[in-house]
Amino acid sequence: MSREGAPVFSAKAVVKTFGTLRAVDGLSLAVEAGEIYGLVGPSGSGKTTLMRMLCGLTPPTAGEVRLLGYLMPRERRAVEEQFGYMPQERAVYRDLSIGENLLFFGQIYGMDRKRIAARTAQLLEMMNLADRSRQRADRLSGGERQRLSLACTLIHEADALLLDEPTIGLDPALRAEFWDYFHQLSAQGRTLLVSTHYLHEADRCGRVGLMQRGHLAAEGTPAELKSRAAALSGRAVPDMEDVFLVLTGARQGGAQ
Amino acid sequence: MKLHRIGAMAERVLRQLWHDRRVLAFMLLLPAFAMILFGYSFSGDIRGVRVAFVDEDKTDLTASILENLQKDEALTVRVLAPGGDPERLLLDGGYQAVIRIPAKFTSLYYAHFAMGVATSAQGRIDLTLDESDPQIAATVRKSLADALLKLGEGGPVDVQVRDLYGVEVRFIDSFAPAIMGMVVAMISTVLTLLSIVREKVDGTFARVWVSPVRRGEFILGYVLAFGLIALVQSAVVLTIGSLVFHIVINGSIFWAFLCVILFAVGSVGLGTLLSALAQTESQAVVFFPLVMLPSVLLSGMMWPVQAIPAVLRPLSYLVPLTYSNRVLRAVMVKGLAPWQEPLGFGGVLAFVVLTVVAASLVLRQRGRSTE
Ligand SMILES: Nc1ncnc2c1ncn2[C@@H]1O[C@H](COP(=O)(O)OP(=O)(O)OP(=O)(O)O)[C@@H](O)[C@H]1O
Ligand SMILES: [Mg+2]
Repeated sequence: MSREGAPVFSAKAVVKTFGTLRAVDGLSLAVEAGEIYGLVGPSGSGKTTLMRMLCGLTPPTAGEVRLLGYLMPRERRAVEEQFGYMPQERAVYRDLSIGENLLFFGQIYGMDRKRIAARTAQLLEMMNLADRSRQRADRLSGGERQRLSLACTLIHEADALLLDEPTIGLDPALRAEFWDYFHQLSAQGRTLLVSTHYLHEADRCGRVGLMQRGHLAAEGTPAELKSRAAALSGRAVPDMEDVFLVLTGARQGGAQ
Repeated sequence: MKLHRIGAMAERVLRQLWHDRRVLAFMLLLPAFAMILFGYSFSGDIRGVRVAFVDEDKTDLTASILENLQKDEALTVRVLAPGGDPERLLLDGGYQAVIRIPAKFTSLYYAHFAMGVATSAQGRIDLTLDESDPQIAATVRKSLADALLKLGEGGPVDVQVRDLYGVEVRFIDSFAPAIMGMVVAMISTVLTLLSIVREKVDGTFARVWVSPVRRGEFILGYVLAFGLIALVQSAVVLTIGSLVFHIVINGSIFWAFLCVILFAVGSVGLGTLLSALAQTESQAVVFFPLVMLPSVLLSGMMWPVQAIPAVLRPLSYLVPLTYSNRVLRAVMVKGLAPWQEPLGFGGVLAFVVLTVVAASLVLRQRGRSTE
């Protein structure tokens, strides 16, 4: 588990450059066990890049990234079984069935077939995909494939979860279901880092980091962010979208 | 390195192929198709070259020359009356060669033996050849030489032929090993390359990368899957080879399969290596001819490496199939053990080590790089 009470996810003054582009630019954050932390920000603000660094998929240009207290990517072998990553693209094997996808991802985490079968039944029930386990992934609708992708991330019951835009492209009802499920996971003591650019979803996070051009423009609980925006603009700001615009300086003091 | 993860990787690759029935069919039909196509078009033995035989001497000796020529399956001999113009016969008569035995041939022939070097007298045969097809011309020359050699006692030289390496080896016999190597190399390289590129495009590669799967396990998973497929493909080639073409296998099937599997391992390594150079599936497709053409043209599969111009010949030794051909032919045709063909066997082993090591280095780089 986490090394000497270290945060589950942490970043210190992290920079990631691609050529001259600073995709992540001096970002720091710490996510504690059991939290649902929402990474909210517009397209291109660096959410995916930050998550990939936290997973050890790409090293930071400067600063340090830790997962459960272990330096990524150097010490990633120590934590590789303890986290699950859901990539932004619906990363499943299109030419395998639902069941075979889950079987493979369970197997590489060392689960035996019996445990995988039990876990598969449970996950498919949850994802409303029960009885479909023989269907091929390329015959699934976008939302179904997304649910399969989430199931693949959850199969080995990891404690730390990095979910990159898990709800993108889902209808509102399904999105609400996903979030209910995230809360169940967090109630079980799991830690979630969830990125989204649906600002309304920020309301359902324990804590939110507003990302802008590679750094955090603001961070806090949804209530904190709203009151800070209210203080800045001099009026109540109940809507997360307005909070974002005020706090990132796109819109000042209630002026339209 | 965990066996169960290698097994999981291999099982997944095989399941993917199993679902893709078209690819599966292709994998099994390709060896059959290649064997039949190449087998029929390159069966190598030229038959029925049309030859006109003009005998102006008419003796027992010339009769036995004619008889020898007629026994040769490469030729279809027509006996023509003397007097025709050989050139006309080639141009208008539809003949590919004209053999004319002038009058007094027999007496000059025996005079030569009776008087030895003391005379310039010598039997002479006129051979008019259509040189526009060198292979046909060579066949006729050889057949005529054979016919003269077979005259037996009294013939100019007594050549004793010793056929090494078993029964008569036909072109197709030495072609089957090459087909086996080519098909296995092509399928393993191309499907590994495509499959890994697709994993990168779809993002499943990132999932596997963050999982406990090691680079070595990743590659070995592919190796295991394509090793099995190589076995099946080799069996198809050998079955068709023996059923349709009655190929002769003088050596051990065990060693042949072992060498084919080794070659498949190297090809998987090569596919993995190439996957680092392609970002998309269409970029990957560009590599196919790059792998295939040198293999077919330079490996000694169609013609011996000695027939390749000296400038290009060093390139032959950069083509993996060259080594596979050598060792598989040594094993299957000559009945040797792989190490009795050190260049071929060593080349295949080096190919395996180089590509697999390079592939695992390249996988590391790719996994951590920008995309
Ligand atoms: N491999 C790469 N090479 C070059 N530039 C990259 C690379 N990966 C990301 N970028 C750039 O870094 C910036 C941040 O990208 P990132 O994917 O992290 O954004 P994001 O916040 O996840 O956006 P979205 O909400 O659209 O997914 C973008 O401008 C992107 O073009
Ligand atoms: Mg993103």
